[in-house]
Amino acid sequence: MLKFFIYILIALSTFLFLGIISRIKALWAGRKGASVLQPYYDFFKLLKKDEVISRTASFVFRISPSINIAAVLFALTIVPLPFLGSLIKFPGDFILFTYTLGLAKFFTVCAALDTGSSFEGMGASREVTFSSIVEPAFFVILGTLALITGELSFQSIFAAINTSTGYTILIKVLFVVSLFIMLLTEGSRVPVDDPNTHLELTMIHEVMILDYSGPDLAFILYSSGLKMVIFSMLIAALLIPPSINLFTALGLFFMIIALIFIGIAAVESLIARSRMSHIPQFIFLMTALSITAFAVILFFLYGGF
Amino acid sequence: MFCYISGSTIFLIGGIVAIFFNEKLKAKIFLAFAVVSQFFILPESLQVLSSGIQSESSFIFNQPIGTVHFRLDPLSSVFSIIISIGSLLAAVYSVGYMKMYKRKKAALNSYYFFLGLLSSSMLLLTAVQNAILFIMLWELMSIASFFLVIFENEKEEVLKAGIYYLTAMQISAAFLIAAFSWASAVSGSADFLSFRNILNNSSPAGILLFILFFIGFGTKAGFVPMHTWLPKAHPAAPSGVSALMSGVMIKTGIYGILRILLLTGIPNKNLAYGVLILSIVTGVLGVMNAIAQHDLKKLLAYHSIENIGIIGIGIGVAMLGAAYNNKIIAALGLLGALLHTINHFTFKSVLFYGAGIIYYGTHTREIDKLGGLGKYLPKTSVLFLIASLAITGLPVFNGFISEFIIYLGISKSFFVKDIGLNIAALLGISGLAFIGSMAFLCFTKVYGISFLGLPRSEFPSSIDEKESSMLLPMILLTAAMLCIGLFPLLIIKPLMKVVDQFPGSGLNFLQQDIFDIFIPISVSLTIFVGAVLFFYSLRSLLLKNKEVKVFKTWDCGYRAETETASRMQYTSSSFAQPFLTLVAELVPRKIKLIKEQIFFPKEASFESHAHDISESYFIQPSIRLLNKFLNLFSWIQSGKMQQYIIYGLIFLIFLLIWILGVE
Repeated sequence: MLKFFIYILIALSTFLFLGIISRIKALWAGRKGASVLQPYYDFFKLLKKDEVISRTASFVFRISPSINIAAVLFALTIVPLPFLGSLIKFPGDFILFTYTLGLAKFFTVCAALDTGSSFEGMGASREVTFSSIVEPAFFVILGTLALITGELSFQSIFAAINTSTGYTILIKVLFVVSLFIMLLTEGSRVPVDDPNTHLELTMIHEVMILDYSGPDLAFILYSSGLKMVIFSMLIAALLIPPSINLFTALGLFFMIIALIFIGIAAVESLIARSRMSHIPQFIFLMTALSITAFAVILFFLYGGF
Repeated sequence: MFCYISGSTIFLIGGIVAIFFNEKLKAKIFLAFAVVSQFFILPESLQVLSSGIQSESSFIFNQPIGTVHFRLDPLSSVFSIIISIGSLLAAVYSVGYMKMYKRKKAALNSYYFFLGLLSSSMLLLTAVQNAILFIMLWELMSIASFFLVIFENEKEEVLKAGIYYLTAMQISAAFLIAAFSWASAVSGSADFLSFRNILNNSSPAGILLFILFFIGFGTKAGFVPMHTWLPKAHPAAPSGVSALMSGVMIKTGIYGILRILLLTGIPNKNLAYGVLILSIVTGVLGVMNAIAQHDLKKLLAYHSIENIGIIGIGIGVAMLGAAYNNKIIAALGLLGALLHTINHFTFKSVLFYGAGIIYYGTHTREIDKLGGLGKYLPKTSVLFLIASLAITGLPVFNGFISEFIIYLGISKSFFVKDIGLNIAALLGISGLAFIGSMAFLCFTKVYGISFLGLPRSEFPSSIDEKESSMLLPMILLTAAMLCIGLFPLLIIKPLMKVVDQFPGSGLNFLQQDIFDIFIPISVSLTIFVGAVLFFYSLRSLLLKNKEVKVFKTWDCGYRAETETASRMQYTSSSFAQPFLTLVAELVPRKIKLIKEQIFFPKEASFESHAHDISESYFIQPSIRLLNKFLNLFSWIQSGKMQQYIIYGLIFLIFLLIWILGVE
């Protein structure tokens, strides 16, 4: 029961986390900034609005936001909470997790191409290019986690990794950094993409959804926000120490998620978006870190220590 | 067994009978025979598959063939079911598609004859267990498909592709003949079961023999670097044939490999690593080359190579599992490979049928000339989208299930404490993920560029999808995709019988595991589908009393004419360009760019051609080397009459000596 309640809480607090980002960015820039609840107001306003749909668009464009929101909520139920576990759990559930998010992305990309706009095509092309190098790296991380823990579901992996000791601290650092890179890439944040405007600065995700309006746009904003929350939940789940009580753990869990969002805001305030041609190098950093982690584990397992 | 054999020959009889009817009736006559044969083939195959007991009978032929055993075991029946249904669907599809060629009377006769011959030879191939007859059927299959490939032989390109294909198939056959004759010579019998003793032990001879078989069968299946015939032959053939070749025929290569693996029992570790690595390379190079293609059918052909790579990864995992004595890993690898074989048949056929409908309507296969087809071919568009999702391995379709099982097999290899296996598992899991994400790129490109957006050229006014015989096979296969995707246990249970056949793997250990995994998957995917429907109805509800304005695409304030808007769209080359620059070394492209002059611009053009590195670094150099070697003997054929008379004389002298010597 508590588990359900917390999942619903997370699903509802998505916009709060997004609000934190914009508030902190505003404060950093010396502005007062909008309330942290502003994304909620935007969301409900969009739900009430009319829609404009491109003449070129087909059923793909219309169904994409619904698939996106369903897929992200579905993925959420696979990611475990500390000590409480997840709603859906079976060996190999992380594969379903990745591929459901992939399904959502497939429709986002196709919906962008559906409008026949060259600008949206550009965003779609970049999105698929970058995700083609992120995904293998993510599977390297998952494989390494399976190697360390001997488990194949998110819940058991995270439960086991937090009770194991010793070299795992180094591994955790490597994973936290590479998952953070993945979060920035998948969430289309600086330095991969600049979500500030719809034009000029933004080159990937916001470009692809340029033609959406009304309830469809509300769905999309919600799902891209929740997707970031999900990836920060994965990072947080790595960092919960084993020997504390449930409520401290949950408190810590939410604190870490909030910290990650503050981190995103900090990155966005401090540095600018990279040049498009440099982004693959940034993503390859994630690959390199995950392979290093794997090599370290092999070294400890077979190196005679 | 008799039932099965006679059912197999009905296809050929249908092809012959069709010759005597006029153009309108040919297709229907052939279809009628194809339908009848199902009643002979399917019950027996399904019976074998559900009971796990093989059906057997033997015939005594004249020397040198001798006694021939026909055995239909669960492994054979899986393939025979695919072949039988695939051939039937090709027959249905041809009813509509071949109307395009109704003026080519002679060619149509040969089309149905060779279609029947191809189906019959493939069906018999899976059941026969005698080396000599197997090779004969194998050659018949290659020759029949060669004549189908060169259906439009008035085009020089097609003829060239056909001859390239025939050559590749003869190389494949050469390796197989070498392997089979070696195995028969050592074992003293041409029966497959007698090869066990040689293949079974890890002696150098057994390993070499396995490699020979693998090259022979692998060439048919399309493993890198012997895959180069696929992207040439598939686009040349009529679409129904492309679907049959890609969805069904190349699987006979997989069948061969599995059959040899079954005889081998516990494979050698190094061989297992070799198969896994080669399959990863096959998958990665296959899909990378696919991304660079502009020709729809060529692209799909490269995707067949990719999927053979995925099936190969499954086989590699199965071999590793057996070699490390871990039955669960072996079982999962095999199960994944088998299921992916079936799945690839379903979605690749739909994709080729879809490509056929596009070609039927637009007379082009250039993706960059398509666009906005969803408006003209709405049903095809939905079916093509579903097949694209399935081939990318996305839920809730069948591609996800088979890739999931292979992932699971690889992941379980992390639990075995062996550094080599762990590294192989990491390569496998990241390789499979890389292949998957590149397939994702490629199919967003194919579907997005050709079916969505605005038309990039003017289509003929005759474009439509009224031909129900072309849509029907697609609809049936799509239903199967969804069914396997949502309720995988339906198909996994019969496949367990096949897996049980293999000595290194035991699914009995796995039964409970499989239920623990696939029941939650079925349930959660059904919930997911429900969630999508829920949110879509919520959206409709929210929009109920509101104005939904249909307006032009937001073009950032650029007031474009419709015509320029369609030309300004992203094309398949521009869509793939950022990725292709990342992998420029693996998929080299030749780019010809004429920029417009600064004053009075006249012309500007851009061309890009992708090269297959196996073609330029492996096939071409080997051909050159072979030519060089064969040139050493060119003096034999000098063209001088006197020299030829001397040959005759020498021959006569030899004959004389031989006869005298024998006497």
